[in-house]
Amino acid sequence: MDNYTEFLSLMGDKIVSLVQKEKRIYFEVDNQNIIEIAQHLFNKLGCRLSTATATETYRGIEVLYHFSHDKSGNYFCPRVVMTDKNNPKMNSITPIVRGAEWIEREMSEMLGITFEGHPRPEPLLTGNHPQNIKVPLRKWRSNG
Amino acid sequence: MDKNVIPVGPYHPLLEEAEYFTLQVDGETVVDIDLEIGWMHRGHEFMSESKTFTQSLYLVERICGICSTSHPIAAVHAMEDVDNIEIPLRARYIRTLVGELERIHSHLLWLGLAGHFIGYDTLWMWAWKYREPVLQMFEIISGNRNHYGMMRIGGVARDVDPSKISKLMDIMDEIEKKIEMIAKAANDDPVLKSRLKGVGVLTKKDAIDFCAVGPTARASGVPIDVRKDEPRDAYDLVDFNIIVTENGDVFDKTVVRLLEIFESIKICKQCLEKLKTVNGGIRNNVKEISAGEGIGRYEAPRGEVFHYVRTDGTNRPVRHKVRAPSYVNIPTFKASCKGIPLADALITLAAVDPCYCCTERSIKIIDKNNESRKIDLLKLSREKTEQIRREMK
Repeated sequence: MDNYTEFLSLMGDKIVSLVQKEKRIYFEVDNQNIIEIAQHLFNKLGCRLSTATATETYRGIEVLYHFSHDKSGNYFCPRVVMTDKNNPKMNSITPIVRGAEWIEREMSEMLGITFEGHPRPEPLLTGNHPQNIKVPLRKWRSNG
Repeated sequence: MDKNVIPVGPYHPLLEEAEYFTLQVDGETVVDIDLEIGWMHRGHEFMSESKTFTQSLYLVERICGICSTSHPIAAVHAMEDVDNIEIPLRARYIRTLVGELERIHSHLLWLGLAGHFIGYDTLWMWAWKYREPVLQMFEIISGNRNHYGMMRIGGVARDVDPSKISKLMDIMDEIEKKIEMIAKAANDDPVLKSRLKGVGVLTKKDAIDFCAVGPTARASGVPIDVRKDEPRDAYDLVDFNIIVTENGDVFDKTVVRLLEIFESIKICKQCLEKLKTVNGGIRNNVKEISAGEGIGRYEAPRGEVFHYVRTDGTNRPVRHKVRAPSYVNIPTFKASCKGIPLADALITLAAVDPCYCCTERSIKIIDKNNESRKIDLLKLSREKTEQIRREMK
C-alpha cells in the first residue's frame, strides 16, 4: 500500500475534496481538522513542511500547506479555505511543526489571516519597518 | 545605553540581502538569538503574476545571484508539473550539467568566505581562484558568467556546442585536482579541526523540527536531497552519492560541502560524456499550459528551492509561490547558536551559507543586563583561531 492510499484510508473522512496527480495530492480540509492532519503528516508519516501558500480566491482566502514525504518524493498539500475575507481565521500548525512559524507569520501580515494558537503572532517582515506601516498588506476591496 | 551599534546595514547598497540578528549574551556566551527579515521586499511573487511563463523565468533567475539557475529549474519543474510535460533527453543532461556547475561554484564561494571568517585567508583566495574556471565554463556554455538564461518550459534555451565538450572536460579535470589539494590541506590541518569541530551543533531532532534542508540538514544526519528523493532531469541517469554526516557541527557542514563538490564534478563529467553521444532536440514546443497546480523543486547548493504555480489556462501564473532554502535554514540559528561562545557565532551563522557575506555588520549584541555592546565578530572569530594556533605550536 503506498503512502497516499494509506493516508486516504486513515484520513479520508476528513477530506472535503481531493485532486490527485502523479506524486502530488491536493486536498481540502475543514479548519478544525488541519491540526490532526498536520500531526499525522509530520509525526506519523515523517513528512517535512516545505512551505505554505496563501492565495485570495473567489471563494475566500485559502492556505495551502506543502508537506514533502522525502522518502517517496510525494507531496501532501492540505488546503484550508476561509470564506470570511474580512476576518480570516484558522488554526496554527506551528505548535506541531516548528518550521511553520515564519511562513504563518508572513501569511498573517500579508493577507491578514489570524493563526489561532500561534506561539509568536507578530509580524515577521514589517516588525521594525521605519515607516511603521500597517498590516495586513493586502490591497483588495472588502466583501461589502 | 549605546543603542546605535550597526555600522553598515541592514539597508546598504553593498548588501544584496539584508538581515538583522540580535544576539543576547551572558559574558561571552550566547544565550539567545532573534532574527528579523524583510529588510528588502522585492515582490517577486507578485511581479511573476503579471508576466508570461517564460518572462517569469528571467524574473526568478534574479532572486539570487548565486542560485541563478536553481530558481529557474524549480520554476520550470513547477510549470511542467501542471501538465506533466516531458523534456528531451539532451535537455535533461544540459539542465543537470548547469545545475551542478552552480553547486560547485557556490560551495567554493562559501568555502572561501568560511576560511576568511576564521582567519584562513589563503583558503579564501584558493577557493575563489579555483571558482573562476567554473564561471568560465558557464561562459562557454551559455555566454554568461552569471544569469545564464538557460531554462525554458519543455527543455533548455541553448545547446552545448559539441566542439567545446573536450575543453570543458579539461577544465573539469583541472578543477578536480585543485579541489583535491584544498580538501587534503583542510583535512591535514589540526587547527581547522580544533576550530570547527563541536562548534554550532544542530541536532538531528532540531533539523527535522525546523524543516531544515540541504547541507544544513545532511550534516545533522537527515538524509534528504531532492536529486535522489524526486529525481528529475538526468539525476536518475547519472551515478552519484548524497553526502550525510552525523555531528551537525560547522566541521561537518564543511565536510558535506567539500565532498559534494566531488560528487558534482562526477555528475558533470557523466553529463559531458553523454552530451557527446546523445543527440536530438533540446526543447519540446509547449504552446500552452492548462489550468491547474504544479509543484517544482530543485536541490540548490543551500538546499531545496521550492516553487508552486497555479494556472488558469492563460499564458501567466495566477499564483507563484517561491521558497528559497535560507528561509527555512536561518531559523535553525535559534537552536545552533544557543550556548556557544561569542567568538564562534560568526562561523555558526555562516555555516548554513545564508547567502550574504556581511553578517557581522548587522549584528546587535545585547548583554544579559540589557546593555548594547559593539563587538567586531569577525575580529573575535579570527583571534580565536590564532589562539588555537599558538597553543598548538
